[in-house]
Amino acid sequence: MRARTLAVFTVVAGLSGAGGVLYHLGSRGSAGPGGDPAEVLERILAAPHTDVKGEARRLGDWRGRVLIVNYWATWCAPCREEIPVFVRMQERYGGRGLQFVGIAIDQPEQVAEFAREFRINYPLLLGGVETIELVRQVGNRAGVLPYTLVIDRKGKLVSRETGGLKEARLERLIQPLL
Amino acid sequence: MRLILVLLLAISGLARAAEPDLLEPDRAFRFAARLTDARSIEINYQIAPGYYLYRDKFQFTLAPAGAKPGAPRLPSGRKHRDEFFGEVETYRGSLSIVLPFELADASVPAIHLTAVSQGCADIGVCYVPHEQRAELRLASLTPGATRSGAAPGLFSGAGSAADDTLVTRVFEGGFWLVIASFFGFGLLLSFTPCVLPMVPILSSVIVGAGQPVTKSRGFLLAIVYVLGMAITYAVAGVAAGLSGAMLSVALQNPWVLGAFAMVFVALALAMFGFYDLQLPVALQNRLADASNRFHGGHTVGVFVMGVLSALILGPCVAAPLAGALLYIGQSRDVVMGGSALFAMALGMGVPLLAVGASAGALMPKAGPWMETVKRGFGTLLLGMAIYVVSPYLPVSVQMFLWAALLIVTAIYLRAIDPLPAAAHGFQKFSKGLGIIALLAGLAYLVGAFSGGRDILQPLSGLRVTESGSTTFETPFERIKNGAELDRRVQAAAGRTVMLDFYADWCVSCKEMERYTFSDERVRARFREMVLLQADVTANNAEDAALLRRFRLFGPPGIVFFDRTGREIPGLRVIGFQPADRFVAVLDQALAFRQ
Repeated sequence: MRARTLAVFTVVAGLSGAGGVLYHLGSRGSAGPGGDPAEVLERILAAPHTDVKGEARRLGDWRGRVLIVNYWATWCAPCREEIPVFVRMQERYGGRGLQFVGIAIDQPEQVAEFAREFRINYPLLLGGVETIELVRQVGNRAGVLPYTLVIDRKGKLVSRETGGLKEARLERLIQPLL
Repeated sequence: MRLILVLLLAISGLARAAEPDLLEPDRAFRFAARLTDARSIEINYQIAPGYYLYRDKFQFTLAPAGAKPGAPRLPSGRKHRDEFFGEVETYRGSLSIVLPFELADASVPAIHLTAVSQGCADIGVCYVPHEQRAELRLASLTPGATRSGAAPGLFSGAGSAADDTLVTRVFEGGFWLVIASFFGFGLLLSFTPCVLPMVPILSSVIVGAGQPVTKSRGFLLAIVYVLGMAITYAVAGVAAGLSGAMLSVALQNPWVLGAFAMVFVALALAMFGFYDLQLPVALQNRLADASNRFHGGHTVGVFVMGVLSALILGPCVAAPLAGALLYIGQSRDVVMGGSALFAMALGMGVPLLAVGASAGALMPKAGPWMETVKRGFGTLLLGMAIYVVSPYLPVSVQMFLWAALLIVTAIYLRAIDPLPAAAHGFQKFSKGLGIIALLAGLAYLVGAFSGGRDILQPLSGLRVTESGSTTFETPFERIKNGAELDRRVQAAAGRTVMLDFYADWCVSCKEMERYTFSDERVRARFREMVLLQADVTANNAEDAALLRRFRLFGPPGIVFFDRTGREIPGLRVIGFQPADRFVAVLDQALAFRQ
């Protein structure tokens, strides 16, 4: 009995020590979950935005479509690299219910100029401090761009992607949803 | 069963941290700010390798409203072409920005700086605009009075404070480097005569179940066992880090460091076999009893065996372990301590894993070579003893100690014994190492007797130069006391004066000379100044008075005087500063107008 108590004690002590180390290592990792993603997603869909033309929009406006929400900025070089892919795929699959929406953490003028230059064929909304907070809560704790959410027709979060997306990966993600 | 789940979680946690390791922005862009005087703030970013900040994206705001920031002085960055924006400048490494400000109401006790920066990582992501804050106390215009509120959390203090002790700087060499060294250290330890006897124990523990054990199950059990051991060591490391954090002030004291060195020497003697260091036998027996009650084969049992074996592990691991714990205690870094010892235990566990995976078929042969490894650790501990006390010893004594250690080691490595005709490859290798150690030791011995002043260049005392036997040309004029200082500062009217406190035994001073003062940009600015140096090696009454006058405890310390001969408040350099930051300080000194 005493041996067991001793054993339990050592295990608990050991695990708490390792917990400390893991907490540290974990906090260095990328996207740890922060809050219930489903609940956060509802708030993301309901949050008010303005688009580059100054009109009020919500992500919830596109409910019923396969929604790809891309958080980006013009000053973020890795973000710009994936945009031609998005434009191409919007062109190809828009008719089958695929909808890209970009949310720019940026100045409106720069976003508008960039949209013209890259011929962006999907809606661009502007994001601010609240947007960043929501993105952190949905799992992007470090606040990294580009960051992309894939949401199915029922409004369920299918995937959270950190960093640049390759066309093949995106194909694999959306094909089952269309 | 639940335990397995916890362990799997733990392993997956490790795996997650290991994949494209993206730093939290506060770690990628370490932020600090301090008041250099009543009208400018020095803002520092330490940018992690592989990360960069944009030059044109900084925003600095001050609170309360009475404090108005001016235009920040940003150094020029690296230029590169951006397809959308044209030419873009970015910063990497260490960045220092000067933010002038005006204060309408001088009675406010502190101002609050909010800095927004934008940056990216080379692996292909950027960070959303990142906000960091610092509180700057106007009341005491001394460096270090600022508090960076950048990273809240339990471990935020670790490594981010501006500690300038030698050991912390060694640790700054890189988290993963230290972890890797400790892993290697553990791997070496596993080849001492103490760990290998555990191999049969482990085999019996694994086979203990009675049922036949598959290789994968054997491997899993070995992992569980090693993790048990590693977690126990991690706890010890965390404890060492914590106790070090509490003792931080005491650790600056030569007597305490001297005592540390003595402990290292004592531990080294244990490694050389002068005596056995282990837990009291009674305690060992009780632990062994406890572990025997757990039957092998079961995961929980094996895990507990691992935990207990870490405690029982005796005579030769204890000494290096104690050395490692002392080292970590001195570094005061809790996270580092826990992780380092965890890594060390994993290293120790590697052979055990091999045994587990091969279900006992693979086993290194025990032999006298293991005693050699043990003696190697003894030598390492002696080296640490010298290293710990070296800041307090005259260079010649340091050189003599290193010489003694290297030469004796060389003799043990049979550096001057002839090799037998049919020498084993290993013998040749060790003789080679021995000769290197012997020559290095002789160099130090010659250095010690010829008045070498530089531990990094023991023979520099022998070098014949036109200017005599000084180590290298320093552009400084020496001053002896306060009166001489006043005369020189007056004579320099109209020019900025820099006063450097120097001593032969001051390691940071040497590093400043070697790495910072030699920088071309620093030298260019030096030409516009009058450079004075107070050599306080002797630490006589005049030296002490001079140090007291500037409220310095000792070198290294650099003080600036403006063109009218008054000390520039707040603009002091204490401890080593790399050239980049030092250039910024010199610029401020040159630009200062009362």
